[in-house]
Amino acid sequence: MSGFLELAISGLMSGLVIGLAALALTLVFGVARFANAATGDFMTCGAYAALLGFGATGSMVVGGAVGLAAGALVGMVSYLLVFRTLEGRPSVSALLASIGIGFVIRAVLGVVYGHGQQVFQLPLVRPWRVYDLRIQPNDLKIGITALVALLVVFLVLHATPIGRRMRAVADDPMLARVSGIAPRQVMLALWALSGAVAALAGVLLGIKTVVSPEMGWEMLIPVFAAAVLGGIGHPVGAILAGVLLGVLQEIATPYVGFTYKLALAFVILLAVLLVRPKGLFGRVEGVR
Amino acid sequence: MDAYLIAIAIITAIYVLLALGLNLQYGLTGIVNFGHVGFFCVGAYTTAILSEHGVPLVVSFPLAAVLAMAFAWPLGLVSIRLREDYFAIVSLGFSEVVRLVATSERWLTNGVQGIAGIPKLFAGWLTGPAQSYAVLGLLVAFNALAILAMLRIVRSPFGRMIEAIRDNEEAVKALGKDPAGFKIQVLVLGAALAGLAGAVYAHYIGYISPEQFLPLITFQIWMAIIMGGVGRISGALVGAGILMLFLEGSRFLRDVMPFISEVSMASVRLGVVGLALILFTMYRPQGLMGDFTRK
Amino acid sequence: MTLAIQGLTKAYGGLHVVNDVRFEVPSGALVGVIGPNGAGKSTLFSLITGFLAADAGDVSFEGRSLGRASPMERARAGMVRTFQVPREFSHLTVRENLLAAAPGQSGERLIDTFFRPGRVKAEEAAIAREAAETIDFLRLAKVADVPAGRLSGGQKKLVELGRALMTGARMILLDEPFAGVNPVLIEELSVRIRELNGRGIGFLIIEHDLAALNKLVSTLHVMDRGVLIASGAPAEVLGNPRVRDAYLGGAAA
Repeated sequence: MSGFLELAISGLMSGLVIGLAALALTLVFGVARFANAATGDFMTCGAYAALLGFGATGSMVVGGAVGLAAGALVGMVSYLLVFRTLEGRPSVSALLASIGIGFVIRAVLGVVYGHGQQVFQLPLVRPWRVYDLRIQPNDLKIGITALVALLVVFLVLHATPIGRRMRAVADDPMLARVSGIAPRQVMLALWALSGAVAALAGVLLGIKTVVSPEMGWEMLIPVFAAAVLGGIGHPVGAILAGVLLGVLQEIATPYVGFTYKLALAFVILLAVLLVRPKGLFGRVEGVR
Repeated sequence: MDAYLIAIAIITAIYVLLALGLNLQYGLTGIVNFGHVGFFCVGAYTTAILSEHGVPLVVSFPLAAVLAMAFAWPLGLVSIRLREDYFAIVSLGFSEVVRLVATSERWLTNGVQGIAGIPKLFAGWLTGPAQSYAVLGLLVAFNALAILAMLRIVRSPFGRMIEAIRDNEEAVKALGKDPAGFKIQVLVLGAALAGLAGAVYAHYIGYISPEQFLPLITFQIWMAIIMGGVGRISGALVGAGILMLFLEGSRFLRDVMPFISEVSMASVRLGVVGLALILFTMYRPQGLMGDFTRK
Repeated sequence: MTLAIQGLTKAYGGLHVVNDVRFEVPSGALVGVIGPNGAGKSTLFSLITGFLAADAGDVSFEGRSLGRASPMERARAGMVRTFQVPREFSHLTVRENLLAAAPGQSGERLIDTFFRPGRVKAEEAAIAREAAETIDFLRLAKVADVPAGRLSGGQKKLVELGRALMTGARMILLDEPFAGVNPVLIEELSVRIRELNGRGIGFLIIEHDLAALNKLVSTLHVMDRGVLIASGAPAEVLGNPRVRDAYLGGAAA
């Protein structure tokens, strides 16, 4: 029983990572109306930047901050250089370009850091025992960080003027334009937010596992599955679906094997698209 | 040098076959297939595994195409009605799952070690350069057949309908015709070409492993058709040529600049493909050779 | 009764965009639906043609209930729509646009394309004659072989009408056919519609442009905020104070 619970807790952690990345994906999808396939690579950027910051200062807090800043920057630069030009074109254009951006990011990281794996050299801490359950203090910190990040995102979305304008644009881009919302600023803020959230997911994933140029790209299918399951454009849905997916993957691992984790996400994605394409909480239909 | 050129021609012809399939799907029908390499992989493994068990090439070759089609059909059934960007990600996921199976099911595919010693084409009859010429001849024949079939399709009411679907799917529905049926057929046809390409590839290279079937291949083919001309049959030829020039050119670059490691060069190639995708979708979506409206 | 709209309802988040709308379009009739922006006209149209799923209500055409049918099935039943923003096949020529609309082409099956070319050719010749007639009728001969994407907005609407005719529809639903069309072409389009109506084709027209519509139709339905507020002959409906209040008052403001 405790083994099962530990799997569930571990799933919760990876689920929060998936959920954060899905939140980054769904934020952009809800407003810019395309699936940013470079979301995973934004994660990777965040993880490498955090490694730099952590290596220079030895502080994980500084490392995380550097990672977030890098993610926000990459998001904004992507928007300014590429996606801004592609606004109003068929969504395939932006989708293809986002694949391209992902490739470029991986290429740069591959040239600079090589394809080897790196780790955050965090001190090992003895797990806490609650009854016969072992809890890693790091897991707890990751969980708390993720929850705080979510809180901040929701505060931004619901309690700041720029967040309200983001939601207005998401609801009805035409109406938003008519009512005098400057789309440029809103979009820039949106890409910064999405990039930072993705980067945080990357940092947490890097702490949990290892950092490599492919780490984020390999998360794309589960992340997309979570965004669809949660309902595209629905932030809370993305998180809940991410957690659900993480826990399901972890619990299923003893049965389907470690390698088929991704296949499981794929099957869940297909199932959701077939049975309930608008997801658990969604408004945007996946079917035309 | 001669042998080198033939080798280049053979690989280019394999890319042409892949590009023809993708151009039929995306250029003519508007299907955003991000999982093309999955069908290529299915074709390659099908014929490799069958050959291991002594099945003759005349049987394993067609079966490679048929099996690729057999994978495309259910994928189309369940997901072709989705929005195009959803389908794109789903097809990408499909190709990754195919690669995952090739990696994990060791009893069938020998896992990451891959399958070696796949018999060469015409091995019983020909050797040396003659054999390479024969392989090239076979590929040219496959490509010619594929092009003839596509020309026939383009000039038929079926071709008119798939182009109508690409231009406006809702309007097709409003006329009482179901776009999904047409798109599934096109997906299956394109998969057959990719499966065939995979079969030739496996027998030509003689060795296959999962890491030869990364999504990068899919997007190299995308780069090829976008550069060559989306929706034009000649675009597949031009694009495959450009792709080959680029891939081989980067190899020469390494001969000139040996201080660049092969691993870095792989990253550079990835970056160039990425940049090409970005710049062409931004500035020249109609390709190097012009718009497909001028047939 | 040819087309019966039976209590169609659609709500988004508690807001009824279309609320229990019911009326009938007799076969061969020319009927209009008007209303201010946001009255729910376009939504109603999508509900009738199956492009949106209704929350409640039914649509029947020639005695067949189509409330659960797909857009394709409804079109095949003989009820074909056009779109407010023209959805031409932009890379196909005007002629190809029309040809693509013809139903039941065996050349749309790959097997027949490859193995029964004779039959496909014969069919194609027959459809081509029909398309040529339609092109002449719609005065599109000059642009017949131009990609439809290069036409003016008004011409594109003619192409959409032409496609609907090629399907053999008995009821054509036009979504704002006069919007963004120059006055000369509006007159032209009205003449064609009247002529087609004379041949027995029924029309249901949604329009914002009152002047063009009330000369054309025999019956007018007025929508406001999702409900039908008046129905009858154009002169009678336009005299209705409720209509003046909702529609004309709103338009004048």
